[in-house]
Amino acid sequence: MTWISKTTTFFGLVLLAHACYSAQEHSALQSFRTTSAVNPSSPGTTAVSLPLDISLETLVATAIICFGLALGTPPLRPIQWRVWAGKIEREGEEGFMNADGEVSRDYVGNPFKMLETRPGFVDIRRQKKDFAEWVRSSGEKQEAQI
Amino acid sequence: MSTEKDYQISPVVQESIVHNSRTLFNFQSLTASLFGVCAGILGLESYTGFLFYIISTLLTCILFYALRIAPSSIASGKAPFDTSRYFRGAFEFWTSGLSGGLAGFILTWTLFYGLVRA
Repeated sequence: MTWISKTTTFFGLVLLAHACYSAQEHSALQSFRTTSAVNPSSPGTTAVSLPLDISLETLVATAIICFGLALGTPPLRPIQWRVWAGKIEREGEEGFMNADGEVSRDYVGNPFKMLETRPGFVDIRRQKKDFAEWVRSSGEKQEAQI
Repeated sequence: MSTEKDYQISPVVQESIVHNSRTLFNFQSLTASLFGVCAGILGLESYTGFLFYIISTLLTCILFYALRIAPSSIASGKAPFDTSRYFRGAFEFWTSGLSGGLAGFILTWTLFYGLVRA
């Protein structure tokens, strides 16, 4: 996504620079014409408006850059706590990437994690059984090796 | 009192609010400077320039809404043009760019007007 945004913005900037240069050349040419005009019947600078193609190019370039910048903005986060926490629960770190594909710095992690690591709810008997089985199986393995 | 009760029932995440408004503010200051460049090249003067600024800022808001808010907001069952999933006040969202980017707009507007029509 980010390279689309960058190329679009760059393309728009090139267009805008070209339009700016064209407009500058146009106004320089106009002032040169008015100063070197032979007939003094129209003194002063007659305001000649910008040619239509330069105006259109400027507007199109602005629209393209806006589009590119809008594509490059990082995704927003839900402000309601339940929506936000649900998003973290469902997507994890995936939902909090910035444009470069890194997890953003103020990502706090799953807010429900403290519910899952409450020491009072640890199944200590099952852990003891698992440990005993592990000891037994490793002891059998060692005997088999010997 | 009822608002306080509402916040107790459905709390909001401060970090998300800060993140969202900062994202919007960055985007709008960048585009405001860009509109200044555009207005300077087009050679707009006085009221026309400010009118251009107001219209383009509103269009930018709509673009931002369409690209960043609308897909997930409408999917979650909100009405179109309802920004309450990501911003606290709708008025704040639609008009914050007008005051925030005005200085940058005038700066680049005058600069490019002077550069082009030197």
